[in-house]
Amino acid sequence: MRIETAGARAFPWTPKRGARRRQASVLAIFAAFAIFVPFASAQRGGQPRPAASARVVAPYDFTGYWVSVVTEDWRWRMMTPAKGDYASVPLNRAAERMADAWDPAKDEAAGEECRSYGAPAIMRVPGRLHITWQDDSTLRVDADAGTQTRILNFGAAPPQQTTSWQGRSVALWEPAGGGRRGAAPTLAGSLKVVTTGLRAGYLRKNGVPYSANTVLTEYFQGTHEDNGDAWLIVTTVVQDPEYLTGRFFTSSHFKKLHDASGWNPTRCSAR
Amino acid sequence: MAIAIVCGAAGAQYDDAARAASGLDFTGEWAPRFHEDQPERVPGPELGDYLGIPINAAARMRGVTWEASIQTLWEWQCRPHSADYIWRGPSPVRIWKDVDPVSRQVTAWHAEWLRSVDRQIYMDGRPHPPESAPHTWAGFSTGRWEGDMLTIKTTHLKEGYVRRNGLPRSDKATLTEHWMRHGDVLTAATIVYDPVYLTEPFIRTTDYELDLHQQNPPYPCEVVEEVDRPKGAVPHRIPGGDDLFVTDFAKRCGIPIEAAKGGAETMYPEYRAKLPGTPSTCVAAPR
Repeated sequence: MRIETAGARAFPWTPKRGARRRQASVLAIFAAFAIFVPFASAQRGGQPRPAASARVVAPYDFTGYWVSVVTEDWRWRMMTPAKGDYASVPLNRAAERMADAWDPAKDEAAGEECRSYGAPAIMRVPGRLHITWQDDSTLRVDADAGTQTRILNFGAAPPQQTTSWQGRSVALWEPAGGGRRGAAPTLAGSLKVVTTGLRAGYLRKNGVPYSANTVLTEYFQGTHEDNGDAWLIVTTVVQDPEYLTGRFFTSSHFKKLHDASGWNPTRCSAR
Repeated sequence: MAIAIVCGAAGAQYDDAARAASGLDFTGEWAPRFHEDQPERVPGPELGDYLGIPINAAARMRGVTWEASIQTLWEWQCRPHSADYIWRGPSPVRIWKDVDPVSRQVTAWHAEWLRSVDRQIYMDGRPHPPESAPHTWAGFSTGRWEGDMLTIKTTHLKEGYVRRNGLPRSDKATLTEHWMRHGDVLTAATIVYDPVYLTEPFIRTTDYELDLHQQNPPYPCEVVEEVDRPKGAVPHRIPGGDDLFVTDFAKRCGIPIEAAKGGAETMYPEYRAKLPGTPSTCVAAPR
């Protein structure tokens, strides 16, 4: 079950027009590249053939169940941090004032319990991920924490009239470079995702804010270890001109599971 | 024309092979971004904070009997952070490469942090030395490419620590690293396997940002007499004694003492069911 519909309501902090235009430009360039790479790959060797789908050319299989392993930021992730505890986050003064005024009861009364489950924060929330291909060009990431769903679109993302907790994501298999003599790039193995159209929320449960102007860039990378483990590593870069003094970097790791055991969809909680 | 085509094909083949062998370039000055665990990594961890680390009872015993002033001993004053911990330490890193002048292949990577030794990661396919070879702070590292990700195996580490509040990592441990570069962002995953002190692999992922103005200065270390103490005295705590110094953190932060003792169970989301529903009560003090 997805609760994306909660994001359909109008929210007062919609991006300014200029910011929206900038976001649209970034997305347009990104989407064009996302479309071009598979096409260029298909042209390699001078043999025209249909562009292979993102699913077919996937250099790593991210599908399956993953559990977050919380070895970092434990006190801020496993527990609800104290009001005003925004250590490590490069906040500006306006953001600190907002965090200092955090009131979970107010969020509950406004039906905004999912503020700390938005795309810029969800990878830090302890829980499990279920990753599947929705179709050949759409990767779907379900999180049991807060019962959230992220849709990662290879190519252009469908238009979105309103902001939402998970926003609008455009995905691209990262190329490994252009090669010599104009050869098409090979794929590096990692997945880049750029997300905009976000509804303002919290980077941490204790009211550390991000705005609707936020641009979220993520890199998904998978590993295979000698002992049979597989890890999903997600590097998250949050850019928020409204509340951050610089880019906010975190990287979260998830261990591959054999099955759905432990999958436990829960409702968002403001506390 | 035929020669040109043949040469071109051979060149392209060579180019592909070279590209596959040389992967991505990590060269540069990288600045750590302390957006995770800043209070632990920069000012230093709290005593008794073993949260989220898959330690066993032996490691916990080493932790609770650790006395911070051991760092003032001559033998410890200039001890560098080991290859596994240093990524999480408070230091910028410079990365560079050795290139064979004839083949132009990258034969080794080097990484040197402000507070560490020069780590060499051999890319020439050499084997690791026998177990009896000397163990060092950097260990012995070899690397290979998996797409654009550099995967490194390190053995022959001297005993070190997984957190600098006394939690040990043995000299039997091995380290796997994955270096991932995305433009001006570097993420390093470190996975420590320690049959002596860990019950599960211990993974951390840490982020750095390319900093073209960074210059790692020299970091000389001179041994001095920091504390006047009897010859041969080694600072330590007696097991079972006053445990206030290891429980103070948990009590002050509203964290169950059992949780602060760490262990693999505390790494997983299910552990939250054992935690109080109330917020933590401590705020990281600006230091």
